[in-house]
Amino acid sequence: MSDVTTAARDVLRLAQPRPRWFAPGLLAGIGSAVMAVALLACSAWLITRAAEMPSLALLGMAIVGVRAFAIFRSVLRYLERMTSHDAAFRQLAELRLGIFRRIVPVAPAGLASTGRGDLLTRLVRDVDDLQDLPLRVVQPLLVAGVTAALSVIGIWLIVPMAGLTLLVCLMLAGVLGTVLSGSLSARADRELAPLRGALADEVLEVVENLDVLTAFDALSPRLVQLARTDERLRRATLRRSVGVGVQSAVVALFAGAATLGALFFGIPALESGGGLLSPDLLVPTLVVAVLVPMAVFEVFGMIPLAAAAWRQVRVSARRVAEVVPQAVPAEIPVDVVKPQELFSPDQAFGPVVLELTDLDARWPGQVDTAVAGVTLRLAPGDRVHLAGPSGAGKTTLAQTLVRFLDYTGSYRLNGVEARLLAQSEVRRVVGLCEQRPWLFDDSIRQNLLFARDTATDAELEAVLARVGLAVWAAQRGGLDARVGERGALVSGGQAQRIALARALLADFPVLIVDEPTANVDSAGADALVRDILTAAADAHRAVLLISHTPVPDELVTARVTLPGLR
Amino acid sequence: MRPLDPRLLRYAHAARRFLLIGALLGFAQTLVVIAFAWLLTRTITLTAAGESLSTIMSTLAALACVVVVRSVLIWLLEVAANRGAAQVKSQLRARVMAKLAERGPDWVASQQSARLSTVVTTGLDALDNYFARYLPQLLLTMIATPILIAVILWQDLASGLTVIIVIPLIPVFMILIGKVTQSVQQEQWKALQRLSTGFLDVVGGLGTLKIYGRERRQFDRIRSITEEYRTRTMKVLRVSFLSGFVLELAASLSVALIAVSIGLRLIDGALLLGVGLFVLLLAPEAFLPLRQVGAQFHAAADGLAAAEELFTILDDDSVATVPAVSTADAAAGAGLAFPYAGQLGQAAGALRLEGVTVRRGDSVVIDQLHAEFAPGELSVLRGVSGVGKSTLVAALLGFVPCTGALTLGGVAVAAGATRPWLAWSGQRPGLFRGTVAENVALGAASAEPGRIVQALDWAGAAEVLPSTVLGVNGDGLSGGQAQRVAAARAIYRALATECHVLILDEPSSALDSDAEARLLAGLRHLADQGRIVIVVSHRPAVVAAADRVIELQELIHV
Repeated sequence: MSDVTTAARDVLRLAQPRPRWFAPGLLAGIGSAVMAVALLACSAWLITRAAEMPSLALLGMAIVGVRAFAIFRSVLRYLERMTSHDAAFRQLAELRLGIFRRIVPVAPAGLASTGRGDLLTRLVRDVDDLQDLPLRVVQPLLVAGVTAALSVIGIWLIVPMAGLTLLVCLMLAGVLGTVLSGSLSARADRELAPLRGALADEVLEVVENLDVLTAFDALSPRLVQLARTDERLRRATLRRSVGVGVQSAVVALFAGAATLGALFFGIPALESGGGLLSPDLLVPTLVVAVLVPMAVFEVFGMIPLAAAAWRQVRVSARRVAEVVPQAVPAEIPVDVVKPQELFSPDQAFGPVVLELTDLDARWPGQVDTAVAGVTLRLAPGDRVHLAGPSGAGKTTLAQTLVRFLDYTGSYRLNGVEARLLAQSEVRRVVGLCEQRPWLFDDSIRQNLLFARDTATDAELEAVLARVGLAVWAAQRGGLDARVGERGALVSGGQAQRIALARALLADFPVLIVDEPTANVDSAGADALVRDILTAAADAHRAVLLISHTPVPDELVTARVTLPGLR
Repeated sequence: MRPLDPRLLRYAHAARRFLLIGALLGFAQTLVVIAFAWLLTRTITLTAAGESLSTIMSTLAALACVVVVRSVLIWLLEVAANRGAAQVKSQLRARVMAKLAERGPDWVASQQSARLSTVVTTGLDALDNYFARYLPQLLLTMIATPILIAVILWQDLASGLTVIIVIPLIPVFMILIGKVTQSVQQEQWKALQRLSTGFLDVVGGLGTLKIYGRERRQFDRIRSITEEYRTRTMKVLRVSFLSGFVLELAASLSVALIAVSIGLRLIDGALLLGVGLFVLLLAPEAFLPLRQVGAQFHAAADGLAAAEELFTILDDDSVATVPAVSTADAAAGAGLAFPYAGQLGQAAGALRLEGVTVRRGDSVVIDQLHAEFAPGELSVLRGVSGVGKSTLVAALLGFVPCTGALTLGGVAVAAGATRPWLAWSGQRPGLFRGTVAENVALGAASAEPGRIVQALDWAGAAEVLPSTVLGVNGDGLSGGQAQRVAAARAIYRALATECHVLILDEPSSALDSDAEARLLAGLRHLADQGRIVIVVSHRPAVVAAADRVIELQELIHV
């Protein structure tokens, strides 16, 4: 298992079920495989011995054995599949949670570099692929390994040289098959996952922007380009197929060689004598030694498949490890060990004063600061309009205030440096209404409730009315109406209003609203701005409204303009 | 589940070729299996007869040859299966994408984009197992099994009859269990799709969840989603694996029966060792392909369920694909026949809408609209949210079917494959991975750097460098910048193809007043060149700059 980074190894560790879940499937698998070998050995012995016409009583045990092996082999196989799949699925929850646990500290600012289609592929595809680690890699390797070892010992006891031949053939088939096909396909394998990601990105781009492509007569060239990406993926897949095929062929070749070897060494041994188990080697025992390799290689056929699955799993693990940064970037804040508290958990929020002095912030992986030298004071009752040209860092400031991004300079809440508070504590008092609010593929109710899960339907309807959605929600069928995937069923303005309703429900002492009017028509925008600022005035709340559009004077208490950096 | 969906052969030619090659290779493989069993039996009987190694050396050499040929055939069949899968996936993917293009943006918008793209990518990959593991075994079942049974029958009637009695039981069980599995299976596929969006929903919305201190609670949600996934899948697997169990049991029990029966008859001297051993070696081979088919059953079903989803898209002809404007000469492709294409100098005249009506399902969104947009004028289209402004724009683009007359300079501009008279930018920027220059010159025959700079300038985005590289969905620009680059793209098209009409849908909603003023100045230049410029907007600055304001009235729905 070389060539795997520590990060990928951590991911792989998440995919392997704990021994308590894994062991039953493994034991059943080994049992079933051993029975399969025993069935052939016993049948062959039975027939060859019977041809010597002994009394029936001498064959009684073999007859019982043949039937028992046939039944238990199938029963154990069923048990193996059920228990091993169940274990892998149980582990899937741990796997997803483990990955999610790592994403949580860096999201959203630390994940921006991943394309969305790619992200989709990674989470659906790679996590599913990681499940193959126990099912298609570890389990078959162990089952085939143990069965092969037992068989080699058994044959060795009958005809030592045949046992050795079998061992050599198994090892050659394993090593050569894996190495040969590995060198042929390793590159293609590594190519596959990124190509699939690229293809998924392109497909998503075409599907989402079909209107643009159609209107600009660019659809055909884009489909040609997509076909080209498809072609690259196909070529990589074809290269790999040659490798996989070589593996099976090599295994079949050595399976034949093992049988030939058993005949070659076994036939002279009829005269010269066999191994420990059969010093006077007889034909029925020889036939067992000749036929068992066939059954062993059938079981052993799992190994090349496991090797191929392993390469796939390794690539997936590496990609999952890439999505999830191992170390939190310097630009993303990390909680101090013993954070201070603004308010004790059981205490109601008092007034909150937010002060910024000469604050700078930067995005991960960027050299330039996105916002610099901001000095600002927000007290309860304040309604501040923050303006500034595009790119001046207005959104960066919003992300910094809710501690998605770290800062230099000073950011104090009631005099306490925000860095010394837990991020969750900061976000308890400083809320953000994002520029592109995320709506969950669920009902309006569920999209509101998570801001305050104790809210009654009446409260939810009231807050919808406050953001001007009462009529719309009623037309849609009330709180149970669904918003669609990523809010597909609601317009930009409606999404913004739902997001605002959420923020109002949560009742943050400090509320930052980032460009609420970006997708709202101007008539509605004025009303929206009025709603936001009215809510603040009666609730001892400070509001920072980030907007490039003009805000009427009577609605705000102060204005701040961020100068453009460039 | 049908073992082989005929639609697969219809929609993917590569599948047919694979079946032919696979059948030939399967036949050859069967012959090799028989030869191997026969030669091995002969070696053993000769040995039992007391022959020495040197006398049976030639038989061993023949056996070695057979071993080599067998491995080559195995390799070829695998390669053919993998190639077949890759080619079929490409063909199906291309067909679905072409179908989406044909169905048009309006239909696609009514689907979940993530779901569609999952079907075309991840969903299709489920066909891999179908081709690599299932189909070859299915072929072998149809070719090898009958031949092997015939050979066994010929050698030993009793054993042959045992196989003949047991083998039909297997398909019977497969069908019975398959029927039970089918409904559960489809349910599982849907659940899987929901889970695919569900987990992404949590990860994508993580920022929002953190703002509300909800990120910790998602652990429970993910756990329950995954737990549901496990129980659902295990429910399917319990049945699927049961079929596998029955198959394996039938196969190994009949081998056991044959072995015992042969053994008993050998004791009586009623059978020769050569025949008994030969039959014993062949009997498992007769069951092997069928057992493999059973073992790969659920993997194959996954692939077929995914294919089913594609076939539903491909087969669906329920909605008219090309929206037609019902004017006298509104033949498909009438846009191509637009006589003034590329000749802005010869002003075509006004864009006239007469009695234009647009329906969405059963409801009328735009009813009998009459409007006129004159060349050289900047017109603003406005109306309250949801009144159908964007729907009207979609109708002009030909994405949504409408009735009534739509003429430019007296010539009907119907929805066709192209719309050379029109340049447009929508509410969503809809930018692509690549440079800003590539985005601006989208669809143009050539990308002229000077014109790109001019288009950006007139869109109020002079500060955006054409060489800026964007990520997926235009990542790397602020919302306002993306909006202006999208406007620049429409302006570039208007300039490059000299088209008569420029429509911008809410181009300044994310712009500050400076940028908006620069955009409006640019639009004025475009109008001054004799173009019809239509802006959908509420912004006071836009309305103030307009030569004409057209108010869309809300329809009263009773």
